[in-house]
Amino acid sequence: MKTLLEGSQACAEAVRLARVQVVSAYPITPQTHIVEELAKFCSDGSLNGRFLCVESEHSAMAAVIGAAAGGVRTFTASSSQGLALMHEMLHWAAGGRLPIVMAEVNRALGPGWNLWADQTDSLAQRDTGWIQLYCADGQEVLDTTLQAYRLAEAVNLPVMVILDAFFLSHTWEPVDLPAQEEVDQFLPPYAPRFRMDTDHPQSLHGVAPIGVYMEMRRSMQLAMEAVPELLERIEEEFFARFGRRYGPVDPYLCDDADVILVTSGTAAGTARVVVDQLRAEGQKAGLLRIRMFRPFPVRSVHEVLKSAQKVAVLDRNCSFGAGGIFASELRSALQGGNPVPVYSYIAGLGGRDITVETIRDCFALTRRTDRPAIESVWLGVKEELLK
Amino acid sequence: MTPQDAKLPLLPLFMPISSAPTSANRTGSWSSRQPRYVEKTAPCSVHCPCGEDIPRIEMLAVRGEYAQAWRTIMTENPLPGCCGRVCFHPCEGGCNRAQFDAPVAINALERFLDDQAGAGPLPAELRPAPASGRRIAIAGSGPAGLAAAWFLARLGHECEIFEAAPEPGGLLRYGIPAYRLPAAVLDREIGRIRELGVRIHCSMALDEELLRKTRSRYDAIFIACGNGRGLGLDIPGGDLAIDGLAFLRAVRSGGLKTRPADESGPRSAAVIGGGNTAIDVARTLLRLGIAPTILYRRRREEMPAFSHEIDSALAEGVRLVELSAPLAIRHDSQAFTLTLQKMRISEPGVDGRMRVVPVEGETRAMNFGAVYAAVGARAEEPWRSLAEPEGALRLGHTLLFPQGPAGLPVLLGGDLVNEVESVADAIASGKEAAIALDLLFREGCGAITPGLERCRIGGGLSLSMEIYQGGPRRSRSQRIVRYDDLNPDHFTAAPPERGDSLPSAAAAGSFAEIEAALAADRALEQAGRCFNCGICNDCDNCRTFCPEAAVLLELRNSGRSDPERRITYDFCKGCGVCLTECPRCAMEMEEAAS
Amino acid sequence: MSKSELFEERELMNTGHVGCPGCGATIAMKLALRALGDKTMVVIPACCWAIIAGNYPQSALKVPVLNTAFATTGAVCSGLRAALDLRGEKDTTIIGWAGDGGTFDIGFQALSAAAERGDDFIYICYDNEAYMNTGVQRSSSTPWGASTMTTPGASWKRTQKKNIVEIMAAHRIPYTATANIAFPEDLERKLRKARSIRSGLRFIHLFASCPTGWGFAPADAIKISRMAVLSRAFPLYEVEEGERYTINSGGDAPVYDYLRMQNRFRRLSDGDIAMIQEHINREWERLNRKARG
Repeated sequence: MKTLLEGSQACAEAVRLARVQVVSAYPITPQTHIVEELAKFCSDGSLNGRFLCVESEHSAMAAVIGAAAGGVRTFTASSSQGLALMHEMLHWAAGGRLPIVMAEVNRALGPGWNLWADQTDSLAQRDTGWIQLYCADGQEVLDTTLQAYRLAEAVNLPVMVILDAFFLSHTWEPVDLPAQEEVDQFLPPYAPRFRMDTDHPQSLHGVAPIGVYMEMRRSMQLAMEAVPELLERIEEEFFARFGRRYGPVDPYLCDDADVILVTSGTAAGTARVVVDQLRAEGQKAGLLRIRMFRPFPVRSVHEVLKSAQKVAVLDRNCSFGAGGIFASELRSALQGGNPVPVYSYIAGLGGRDITVETIRDCFALTRRTDRPAIESVWLGVKEELLK
Repeated sequence: MTPQDAKLPLLPLFMPISSAPTSANRTGSWSSRQPRYVEKTAPCSVHCPCGEDIPRIEMLAVRGEYAQAWRTIMTENPLPGCCGRVCFHPCEGGCNRAQFDAPVAINALERFLDDQAGAGPLPAELRPAPASGRRIAIAGSGPAGLAAAWFLARLGHECEIFEAAPEPGGLLRYGIPAYRLPAAVLDREIGRIRELGVRIHCSMALDEELLRKTRSRYDAIFIACGNGRGLGLDIPGGDLAIDGLAFLRAVRSGGLKTRPADESGPRSAAVIGGGNTAIDVARTLLRLGIAPTILYRRRREEMPAFSHEIDSALAEGVRLVELSAPLAIRHDSQAFTLTLQKMRISEPGVDGRMRVVPVEGETRAMNFGAVYAAVGARAEEPWRSLAEPEGALRLGHTLLFPQGPAGLPVLLGGDLVNEVESVADAIASGKEAAIALDLLFREGCGAITPGLERCRIGGGLSLSMEIYQGGPRRSRSQRIVRYDDLNPDHFTAAPPERGDSLPSAAAAGSFAEIEAALAADRALEQAGRCFNCGICNDCDNCRTFCPEAAVLLELRNSGRSDPERRITYDFCKGCGVCLTECPRCAMEMEEAAS
Repeated sequence: MSKSELFEERELMNTGHVGCPGCGATIAMKLALRALGDKTMVVIPACCWAIIAGNYPQSALKVPVLNTAFATTGAVCSGLRAALDLRGEKDTTIIGWAGDGGTFDIGFQALSAAAERGDDFIYICYDNEAYMNTGVQRSSSTPWGASTMTTPGASWKRTQKKNIVEIMAAHRIPYTATANIAFPEDLERKLRKARSIRSGLRFIHLFASCPTGWGFAPADAIKISRMAVLSRAFPLYEVEEGERYTINSGGDAPVYDYLRMQNRFRRLSDGDIAMIQEHINREWERLNRKARG
């Protein structure tokens, strides 16, 4: 059923359709609409579950960990400071091999306080063992959330479904809302591989001595390595049922492109407009949107970028002392493949608009610069403030 | 609509999930210290001349197992009904609880248990061993003779008691008045001894002539005739004094139980002496309507009579005149005039007792309707002369002549030889004689001393028949548990109680028994005051507080209800919490053999 | 009366664990599980018991255990409770089993939230009065006068032990109480009472002595715990609905004897100890006022 939904609502509807039983979250702008919607669903019975109001994000993740260990499907959501506060427990959820799904609204970290779109918060958690999927529109948010449960429960790793602050979380778009029965066919009831059970008492998540810890971590890595294939199979099924698929990466006019822009999130939508413009002007521009950041889609990027002359990466984030994170990951991933120069650009931090001009500048700078600087080029910075 | 079967593969999952028990870790290797259950000896049982297993008796009483508690008494003492009424309870004097609040009412509990469980036929556990073919002649059916017969019969030896008086019991019947020890109680106890096949010949003293006639019949003799002849007063007119023991005997046999209707009898009497007999005489006189005055040459605190007896006598109205020694007795018309010397305290004599010396020139005369002498007693002949240590083996409570008169082994016991003249010590004599004779018969004279040593409790003189017969008590350590060995954290203060007593005024009016038994609920509480020093009473503290869960509780299959505890040394770290929390020192810490 | 008549039951705590000899926390766990039985799940944050609970592949308990991060006990129990209720397992008891560090300090926030939410589980803080697992550093439960590795030498702790039961009572939870390993029947009664109340959080503050951290002979672990109660340094009492106080213990033993048995108080002068005695007297009087109502 096609309906107009805010990005946050699309997420909440997916959680309802997934028959999640325990939601625990702490409010933080701009995640609030997601959790408020879910609180309403629990209150009016459209979601047969419990909404636990907790006193911090650290406790929100702890509570869903407890619930997941108890053997039910769980959900939480956060952003920025909240996600940062949760950091310890993100490691715990992944190491605990719990199939938790979390909506993460990309928002800048303070100080100074900034509520707007920025990817540094989720990327700062890239080492925690969570699968990360970056969404570009409301439909994708809904679909990815549903797929996330299937994927998480198959590999026993938690999944972050990521959406830009305000640009996606608070934007209304037409979204196809599937029927409950259809979702039930796609997403079976949760059958935990392990749980707290008085009939079979076990101790979960206890001491792992030197002799086994490394193997437990290897198990997590192997699960991550299984994700691309599993996601493909899941998307096959999803496509068959709902007619939509996204893949680990979303290439646009890359086959014959000489300069390909790599980006993620809502900026990709603007970038697509620019690619169309440049094509109309005779440039062989291409766009690669990265959806799955963890595990990093090494094979996919090798495939898509194999014939490119130049690659420009537009990061809405920064790892201080290094640079744009997608750029640095891509540079590593391309090792042993097409030795294409990778140009790194940073734009849009703290919600600064990434406009058509910004992206046109990316392409233009990339074309006219022979070799990329190691350092990321920051676009749209007001240099006079830095004197 | 069937779901699309996109069955995803099940990936291997290696993560921290654990369920193997930690009992694979032999943490006992952390320490070489190993606590063990080592039961020990309680001081009360050492003080008890009969060596009764008092902590166990009280433990069984608390559990309501009266029959088993009573059997535990009877194993060491066949006269709990008597002792529970008249014993001077040295056990209570040694009771560790005295240092916490007050001693346990062991004596009152013994009486209670006999009241509860003493009736009926003897239980199987107390029946005699198969007949050995030996026969022993016993002179005297007082507590020593009766006890000897009991123990000898249980060991399988036939006994015949010869008693000069018309009825058995000795001092128990003829010396101790009915208000302290009713005849019915005594008769029941004697009946139990008879149940073992012991024959008592009354009005038949074992004299030398009788012995000579029947010598071939016996394998040994036990002389327990007591000190039945009162000592006279060696003063002018001393023969005018009535012998106190004879008086008590007459009251008991003649049934002088009520006040005489005859108003012409004596209204007052003097009782010279300070021991239990003097007290008994005075209180008996009171009940016959005669006002008694006890005259003693020293002070009340030096009187050898039991202190509570003196208290009772005074409360009943017996008058006590201290520091007065008789000089002469004169009789004119109806009254006796007693001349008395006033005495004063001087330094202690060699025996530690305060010496008294006359106050020069201070005498006085007092008039009484009668004068009684209770200044000590001695044995009848020929036994009195026989009680000479030369040529004899001095054991704990007996004298042994391996080759006595008539060529038979002879033992002397009871008041005849004991330093402390009490019912309990007399019973101790009987037991010692029985064990000594059993050792003599089975192994010969040389086995007697070491055999007795093996049965002695806590390094003292008291013997245990249970140990002699190889019962569980033999594995107890002889180390005596002191108060400092206990953990009083586990005890709550509670006052001791005896049974109710008749008020003195009512008591003095008749020969009815003064003291009643404890009521059942009070008895339970009183038994609960016992710390059970040195033995395990299943409090389970060791198991409750063990941090390793290394104390296992196993119900035995032997038919006994006592569970058994076992410490698993594979896991015990030797922390010692069990020892500290054992309230009664029933454990020891030992070093493991490497 | 003989307790052995009452049970010949299987302990729910395994032997062979790595607790120190005389560890009060292991006695506490054993007694707690005896009271609660095998339809119990235990949530354990970082603390001594996280280690005692066993290295992979071993578990020291015969009931399900969920190990969790230090600050999270209150939140994890809430989540687990929600899951069990949704699965229809309403009769399973959940206990959060945290040390004083994970309760008074880093775990306090989550505990307070669970109390305010009225969550249905029993939170048991076994209190050994310092961060023992990490090597005896002070916590806000460490009493005034104690030496620890972070209050060493002349800098012994000069702030009072936080009164966690009063704090929990102020949350108006249905039931909170102190308990002590030297008083097993009292502990059992309180745990069974806590288990039967389902209308909100129940909090038990359980005194568990620590020979290693306090500096006394392991054999005295129970004795010292008892002395804490009888000197009123750690009185036994219960609070229902945050306002009905019942005192379960008394005693007037001088705190001097209790303190002098422990190395951690060795730096105190007699004057310091007198101050502690005064403080105890005042707190006792305050507690009695509340009980009188």
